[in-house]
Amino acid sequence: MKFQTLFVTALCFSVASVTIAHEGDCPFCKLKLVQNTAEQDNEVVLRFGNKKIEYRCIFCVFKDQKRYKGDLVVYAPSEKVGEPVILKRTEGKWTGPDGVVFLNSFKKHVDCAALSRAFSNSAAYDAYVKKNDLKDTKALTLVEFIDFVVKPAK
Amino acid sequence: MIALLSLVLSAGFSQDPLPPVPPDLPSWIRAKGMDELYYKSAPYNWSINRIPKFARDMYATGVGHAMAYEALASGREAELETTTFERINRILKNPPRLPVDEMALSPTFVRKYGYLEKVFDWAHTLHFQTIDVLAYPGWNDARKEQELEELWSFYQSEPYALTGLPMNMEYLDSLSYSKNFRHRYPKLNGLFWGYHWLQTVNYDMLYRVPTADQAPQYEVIGDRYRDVELYNETRDFMPMTAELSPRFAKRFPQLANAFDNLHMLHDNVNDILSQPGLTDLQREQQLQIAIYRVLDSTHQGESEDTIRPNSLHDHRHPPSMPGMGMMVGSDEDEMYMSGMGWMNMSECGHCSVPMPEEEPWGATVTADGWTMSVRCLMCARDMASETPGRAIIRAATEDSKKLLILVSDDEGNWTSNISNVVFLEKFGEHPDCSGWSRAFTNDSALNQYLVANPEYAGMPGLNLSAWSKLNQGKPDTYRRIDRPNPYKRGGDK
Repeated sequence: MKFQTLFVTALCFSVASVTIAHEGDCPFCKLKLVQNTAEQDNEVVLRFGNKKIEYRCIFCVFKDQKRYKGDLVVYAPSEKVGEPVILKRTEGKWTGPDGVVFLNSFKKHVDCAALSRAFSNSAAYDAYVKKNDLKDTKALTLVEFIDFVVKPAK
Repeated sequence: MIALLSLVLSAGFSQDPLPPVPPDLPSWIRAKGMDELYYKSAPYNWSINRIPKFARDMYATGVGHAMAYEALASGREAELETTTFERINRILKNPPRLPVDEMALSPTFVRKYGYLEKVFDWAHTLHFQTIDVLAYPGWNDARKEQELEELWSFYQSEPYALTGLPMNMEYLDSLSYSKNFRHRYPKLNGLFWGYHWLQTVNYDMLYRVPTADQAPQYEVIGDRYRDVELYNETRDFMPMTAELSPRFAKRFPQLANAFDNLHMLHDNVNDILSQPGLTDLQREQQLQIAIYRVLDSTHQGESEDTIRPNSLHDHRHPPSMPGMGMMVGSDEDEMYMSGMGWMNMSECGHCSVPMPEEEPWGATVTADGWTMSVRCLMCARDMASETPGRAIIRAATEDSKKLLILVSDDEGNWTSNISNVVFLEKFGEHPDCSGWSRAFTNDSALNQYLVANPEYAGMPGLNLSAWSKLNQGKPDTYRRIDRPNPYKRGGDK
């Protein structure tokens, strides 16, 4: 129990330390960054060495990843406030926690922060889809999400 | 209030489509023949060559200007975005080792519009000699600043001199032909604005910077120029000197204004030369009027207190920045900066707290094509950390004669020009950040500061590596100026 409390405290502390979000614009899509709210995290933070760079959504991160030559850590907002999904690119290979799934269903980029998101598990994904009454969506694995994002535009 | 006034007046801008030639047009403008002027004789001339990559890029900008003007003056507009662009681009990628005589590359342009070349050439000489002074290793900063004042007087002694007063950029860019060139020829316009980016970003790279620390900065700036800025077609407005070299522009507003007025003249000239439907006489007259607007002689007896809003004689400037005229949508110190959005020039770009009025003056951050003033080292580091790519920080130390220059790689690993640099960072309230986040040239200087400021007693000095790893996050004082892009109607970006 003590260990769990310590772990959660440490996690919260580490999340706070990466939540840097200047209220600027996304380096990729140039739209305004979407700030966290009490109900939902929105700030996507990419860590590259000492750099901590905020993006508007995880789609933007994966679209922009080529500019970084080296290992990356991405703190993607999840269904839980203060508990991002942590994705890593190590020697070019992306990995994420077991069970992580992705939503990527925006039609207009202005909706990307709400509709390009990570979830720690399928049940959380289903709940988000239901709550927001989203149609024709599919939970994507990390591999599927990357394939979708990096495929050439039609 | 000023914004409202500007809006009302700009909504009613109804400038004469082709204004008549003013009766007091200087006679030299109609005189035939060239008038070769040369540099002020001085030991610093050609010090630009101490930074070889910078010198070559600067020499290539002259070639780029000349080739574009020759094509425009020869009726080859149709090939501006193709053949001319490619020809210029080859030069930019293989820049000359020596300055090239622009007149030799643009004989038609010079034959037709020699009066323009007189103005351009004289202002370009000022550009280069200003750089030479700042890059000269033989003088201290005080002597260099004195020389820049003398250089300005030397420049003004000729009739071709441009005014050093701030000009209303919205007015100068609202003529019947304005913006024509950038819309019709975006690639070539991108090159022009790229040159002007380089010609304005360099002054803070050099000003009060030890000469040994100038070239390393150009490794970052030069790459940005060659890889991005030359081909940037998304910029809303030409680069302004105060936007990219705020320290220099504040210290030498007359120079900053003259450079901006020169670059606006280039934009006017490009618009006139590429405007379809003008007769040769109309084109010539409009070019002469464009020169007249920004000549020093046209504004004789005026000062920055001369305020006829949104007119040729509107010399207002943001209160905290005398080296810049009013911009589209400007309101007091707020202006819209391409790539950064709205900013307030009197405030820290990171924490929005007013910039200090006494020493230490703070720092500047150059990254991603912009330069921002910030209050302290922490704001500088964290702002650079939030931004992709390499960055440069120029910051005050306890020794007003020793500027700290930090250059980072893509991952935010910093190198310093001061080997024993040590930092104080005791995170607290942002309005006091210039007290608890500082750089010192050595441990002894830090210890003296701690003795004099017991509230920081016991704080350890941080070496560069430890300091680089810190990040204090979003300042709670930061406020975004949430206004739409004034250059784009109906959209916020």
